[in-house]
Amino acid sequence: MTIEYSRDDQRTKETVSPSTPLPVRDTSRFVDTLLVATTGVTADANRDLQGSTATELPTLDGCMQYRKLVWFYFRASDAATTYRVLARATDHNGAPLGTGWLLLATGTLPGEANTWGRIEIPSASDGYYDQYRIEVQRTAGSNYALTSKIVGVR
Amino acid sequence: MTPKVCLVMRQFGNLNRAWTQILRNLGIDYTLCIATVSGTGANIQTPQGVFSPSSPDLRNYFRQFDAVILCDNTGNLTDPSLINYSVFWLRWNAPEDPAFLFFNPYFSTAITESGYNSNFPSDFPIVRPNPSDLAGTLYAADGGSPSSFSPLLAPNFSGRGACVLFPTENIRAHVMTICNTHTDNIPYYWRLDAAKHSTLASTTYTHRVARNGRAGEILAVPAPPTNAEDTETYPTDCVVAYRYRNIFWLPHAIVRASRAFNIWDVEFSPFVFWLLYGLQLAGVRPRYKLPVQIETDHPIESHASTPPFNFSYRQQMEALLAKHDYMRDFARRTGTAIIHGVRVGGRHRTTSPSYHWQMMYNTGVPADARAVAQQINQLLVAGHREGTTPCGVHDHTAGNFQGGYWLGDVRPNTRRHSGMRYGAPNNVPIDRGRCCVAPHVLPSGVAPESAITVQIGDAEMVEWDHTMSGTGDTFDLPLGNIHAARILIESEIEEMLALGFPDGYCAGHKYTNTAANASGGECYWQALKEFGFRGVRSASACNNPHLTKRVVANRVWHGFHLITDVAFDLAGGGMPYAYGLYHPDSPSESDAVRRWRLDHGNDISANWTTSAVAAWRAYRRVVCQAIGNWLSTTAVALGAFYFHPINGAMIVSLSDPLARFDGWSKLNVIGHPHYNHAVELLENMDAVVRLLPDVLYWGTITDVMDHRERVMG
Repeated sequence: MTIEYSRDDQRTKETVSPSTPLPVRDTSRFVDTLLVATTGVTADANRDLQGSTATELPTLDGCMQYRKLVWFYFRASDAATTYRVLARATDHNGAPLGTGWLLLATGTLPGEANTWGRIEIPSASDGYYDQYRIEVQRTAGSNYALTSKIVGVR
Repeated sequence: MTPKVCLVMRQFGNLNRAWTQILRNLGIDYTLCIATVSGTGANIQTPQGVFSPSSPDLRNYFRQFDAVILCDNTGNLTDPSLINYSVFWLRWNAPEDPAFLFFNPYFSTAITESGYNSNFPSDFPIVRPNPSDLAGTLYAADGGSPSSFSPLLAPNFSGRGACVLFPTENIRAHVMTICNTHTDNIPYYWRLDAAKHSTLASTTYTHRVARNGRAGEILAVPAPPTNAEDTETYPTDCVVAYRYRNIFWLPHAIVRASRAFNIWDVEFSPFVFWLLYGLQLAGVRPRYKLPVQIETDHPIESHASTPPFNFSYRQQMEALLAKHDYMRDFARRTGTAIIHGVRVGGRHRTTSPSYHWQMMYNTGVPADARAVAQQINQLLVAGHREGTTPCGVHDHTAGNFQGGYWLGDVRPNTRRHSGMRYGAPNNVPIDRGRCCVAPHVLPSGVAPESAITVQIGDAEMVEWDHTMSGTGDTFDLPLGNIHAARILIESEIEEMLALGFPDGYCAGHKYTNTAANASGGECYWQALKEFGFRGVRSASACNNPHLTKRVVANRVWHGFHLITDVAFDLAGGGMPYAYGLYHPDSPSESDAVRRWRLDHGNDISANWTTSAVAAWRAYRRVVCQAIGNWLSTTAVALGAFYFHPINGAMIVSLSDPLARFDGWSKLNVIGHPHYNHAVELLENMDAVVRLLPDVLYWGTITDVMDHRERVMG
């Protein structure tokens, strides 16, 4: 009996053979890059890393498989900035279970001008949330660029 | 041989990641080098060591590359230095040296550093800009009016450009073009020293990039007018691009700014043509060419007859028929496939004559107009079958407001189709029931025999006690679930089949552009996959205006493509159709100049009725911005560029709808300049594709999705 499986592109069928064995999860790859974005940090309330002020709009979606997110950033200014990390779960259609968010973290964004930062989300225990919304708001000084990279850790 | 370039910049923090994203998309390897300061005393930090900018070691290091690219640029000609360290490289002209690509180069006379000035080649033929004598050293361009902000920062609006003549290729192309600018925010072109150029042009020079075997070559100049109305002309010594030995002096390509991008969502780089052209001139042969393609929303659509155009339905359909006939022919000639999003839903859920089905069959529409609409449909079906006009579903009746998929509310009185799997009278689930998302722990006896298995992505669940449709064809449909998605998508495809199309997903492309770019969420992507779709066009916020969902960051969900959407209609702001390139009495955003903020210094609006050149200025800016946005979509985002044919349908000449723009010499029904958006977009992009055979080709959405899989690894 011939056994086939779908390749990663979801379109190509591969017949199982000694040279093409059934695939297994690549356990050497536990981390995915989820977002690389430059945000103009303003005094606007509720502005997320993708620049949106629509409060129900997630910054990242489809994140259930990730135990933790790691947010790296480089800030061009030391202007006082607050941040909020929000999260929530969705149902099996992808719809949020309800409106609003669970507040995971809030505080002053660490770092001086032209320095790096790293924030773990959540800071303790595991995440596994489906959606995250990460907001930044300048509370003093002038607008500046915040460049972020977020990786998901399985 | 692997193509490889070296990017040099002063500060990594100011690197616009568009540079590297384009190179990745082209399959060109790159190395980043940082100059420690902007002056000639800089050290160049390379992965193989730190070198003096004038050192033989750096020269030898550069020789491994096909080209060296200077990334820094400025809009202030009074700076004492920016890329002064690069002056030595202007003399590295041996055949072994790479090509050097300078975009919007900074070589102002305000540079006082002796190390720069003493090493600047005395035979360099372009006059150095003097901030104290701008008029004597540069040519104010594009009307000479100032932008409201630095024109280098123009994103997908407020562009500055020109119709440029490429003498060697003998091609005229509309491209966003700024050679230099200053704090006055005026774009400038360069002034050529005719005597020095003459000497260089007659000097034999051997280098692989010297295609004419001469030391100097004019690459591009402002194109001469094609109509006497267009009085925006330039002296014969005005140039916009020049090759000095192996040094390419090119206009602005990418703004110097700290911009990183969501992995595949990008800000616009509308000046990107010059990077692509520079790479081609430098002989950097990309591993991959980029497929160019375009899409439309609503191939058949109509509006009530209203002033000032008073187009009847028939006249609107005739204007559309001419456009579609032209587009099909264009696709045949070039090998592209122009995707159309057919506005379905008219068969079952709306009686609005603006819908495809209704325009063809609603007896409230005059028979002569319906006949023309049916001609368009026949043309599209034939084009779908031959591969030139693939059509897919595009449903504005599925949700509220402007429509699209998902919207986590209930759509009252949704009417479905008949037959097939999910149509009446089949009693099918329309909303989730009770479920177990881990079937392996489901105790026996809990789920009844009628339970069904539902899979969404990686998750498989058992469901029962669903809300069912009953046998009728009308019910309140909760939209945010996979059952609703299946019903809606099958209903849409059923309508496409009834219209004569063999499928609803653009034939072998297995793709469609979704209404309002609202592709829904996981449940709709899953259902679309089940019906055979490989991808759809989608906004990042994918269930607008509900705004509770985002597409996954890399825009690939379990192998399903969510293609970036970029629209370029003449009218915006929800206006149904454009009044022209510019129209002084139109509602806000109902003309292209105001929609795309192209009235720099009011030099179009103030002159529209008194000076014919204003129309040509408007035309140039609109087309340059459109082509720039399209190129950025193609080269940076690997996305989908599209427009609505009806949006510009009222402003064509009904007696000669396919004519090219000809200012006030060719008028539309209200006595303003005729303009056919479909014709102008395609013909002007075709000029660019013909200019860049090493980089671009007319492709299809399948090519785009294939390429995304190729370069996204």
